[in-house]
Amino acid sequence: MKQAASGISAALPTAHAGNATVRRWLIAGAAIALWAAVPALASRSVVDMLVFSGLYTIAGLGVTFLLGQCGIVSLAQSVFYGIGAYSTAYCTTHYGWPAPVGLVLGMLVSAAIALAVGWPVLRLSGYFLALATLALAIIGHVLFTEWDWLTGGTLGIGGIPQLNLFGFVLNSPQRFYYLVWPIAALLLLLYRNLLHSRTGFAVRAMRDAPAAAAVLGVDTHLLKVKVFVLSALLGALAGSLFAHYVSFVSVDSFGVDRAINFLLLAVLGGATTIIGPVFGALFVTIMPRVLSQFGDIHAVLFAACLILAVIFLPEGFGGALRQLAQRVRAGTARS
Amino acid sequence: MSGTLLLQSALAGLTNGFVYALIGLGIAVVFRGTRIINAMQGEFALVGGMAAYLVLDRLGLPLAAGALGGVIAGGAMGWLIELVLVRPTRRRGGGEESFLLLTLGIAFAISAGVLFVFGRDSRLLPGIGGEASQIFFDAAIRTHAIWLMAISSVVMLLLWLFYHRTHVGLSMMAASIDEEGAASIGIDVPRMRTLTFLLGGLVGGLAGVLVSPLITIHYEMGLLLTLKGFAAAILGGLTNPFGAVVGGVTLGLAESLAVLSVSSGYKDVIAMTILILIMIVLPNGMLGKRARRGG
Repeated sequence: MKQAASGISAALPTAHAGNATVRRWLIAGAAIALWAAVPALASRSVVDMLVFSGLYTIAGLGVTFLLGQCGIVSLAQSVFYGIGAYSTAYCTTHYGWPAPVGLVLGMLVSAAIALAVGWPVLRLSGYFLALATLALAIIGHVLFTEWDWLTGGTLGIGGIPQLNLFGFVLNSPQRFYYLVWPIAALLLLLYRNLLHSRTGFAVRAMRDAPAAAAVLGVDTHLLKVKVFVLSALLGALAGSLFAHYVSFVSVDSFGVDRAINFLLLAVLGGATTIIGPVFGALFVTIMPRVLSQFGDIHAVLFAACLILAVIFLPEGFGGALRQLAQRVRAGTARS
Repeated sequence: MSGTLLLQSALAGLTNGFVYALIGLGIAVVFRGTRIINAMQGEFALVGGMAAYLVLDRLGLPLAAGALGGVIAGGAMGWLIELVLVRPTRRRGGGEESFLLLTLGIAFAISAGVLFVFGRDSRLLPGIGGEASQIFFDAAIRTHAIWLMAISSVVMLLLWLFYHRTHVGLSMMAASIDEEGAASIGIDVPRMRTLTFLLGGLVGGLAGVLVSPLITIHYEMGLLLTLKGFAAAILGGLTNPFGAVVGGVTLGLAESLAVLSVSSGYKDVIAMTILILIMIVLPNGMLGKRARRGG
């Protein structure tokens, strides 16, 4: 866990000053201490909110990868989130199979569908690809509703068992918090390593100069499909965890609005930064609840926040943070 | 299935098709002029329909005044949004996806605003010719629906003339095809973009006025209308003004055939599958030649 969190902070820009490494470790240590203390200090509803932030970070990471590294706007993540959740719900309640089976099955089905659909659809680009993924989200939502023998339709599936790690039942938001965030941190670390690998360079080359990348032997279409499948895996994983956490899934959780939420968090967080999805997920879970105290007007205010963020933070919170760090670094270098 | 049933569902599909076409026409107008996919086109219709309702209901003016009010409200909305929100985003160097998200955010804001001010009630405008219907071979169609098709066709024709025969229309196209070239021959590019949104808003407002006797005005109506309109515009080819109508009618007919032969639940699945297939197989739409880029 410690390693994972320091990996995240290492991904942030760091100062070049002499004692930079020490400061980095101090910041990482403080961040972990703060993270670990939250469930003890905050109320149950706040922790519950933060669990959702963690789940959305995982699903949103897939969308961020597609958007930030491949330039693909995906609105289909709600489908894979749903497949993960329904797989877990069906396998655990219908057959009484252990949790890992539902989780793995959900990820396999998601990957297979992402491969089958992504292969033709990823030939499109730009707005047209965005629209195609939106169409997929609508198809997914209708099928979730219509196939009620599998999904329970609008009535949903209840009674999904809580996760049990070696006899330790994750039956409270606090306990789930300590599961979901380490998973998210580990995935962010893996994401960072992937971006610095050969594949990561190939992906970025494809985004910035597709023709040059193709000439250098990068199979751009195959690469896009791979990233799409990876993104679907993340969505299914988050969906399975979601099903175990809330123990009840219905079609309302997997609509187009959820897909839009995942895209929003990727953009707001800063799609080109590694830590971005965390900020984005915190924003889309915390902001509506903060604003709901203003009564009925909260939806208008949330939309207004969104518009302002798009206009004033074109690179999202992660991008703004990076700029701030660069400015600070420039300041210290001068003095 | 009987012939009457088939004809009845074809008429329903045709009507829906023209509804999608009207929204798609607005999306195509904005795309031609600014290369922005306008995710709030359905909300322009919502605002137009709502304004028309207010003029009719609160002020008690005749139908024509309500329609005029709706169209003007849509146009004003488009004009204002371009000046206040789209222009600053462009100045700060927003990419394709920031415009998509911006218009999506504005769509949420409008929808939430309508919910806040007017509540959850659905409202219905009186149609042209009231509730009267025409009968074709035992199949009925609302008189208003025929007017809707006629007016949409006229609007489409006027738009074609506007883009090909008027100075402003040609300048608008030039400004979007080659920004620097247009600026260097004295075209005020930012003004053309503002006018584009104004025009998109006017078309959206008109769509709202024409659609709301058939579909109730409701704060949530915007997004689905936008999607279907978007599908219609892309099916036909985004930059061809006739494309939206061809695409919309194809979509509407396919939907009503799906309802007839499969089940009403799968209507949207069929429509969206057709959309994806057409985009892959006919990348320029059904009418497009060089449609993706120029105009």
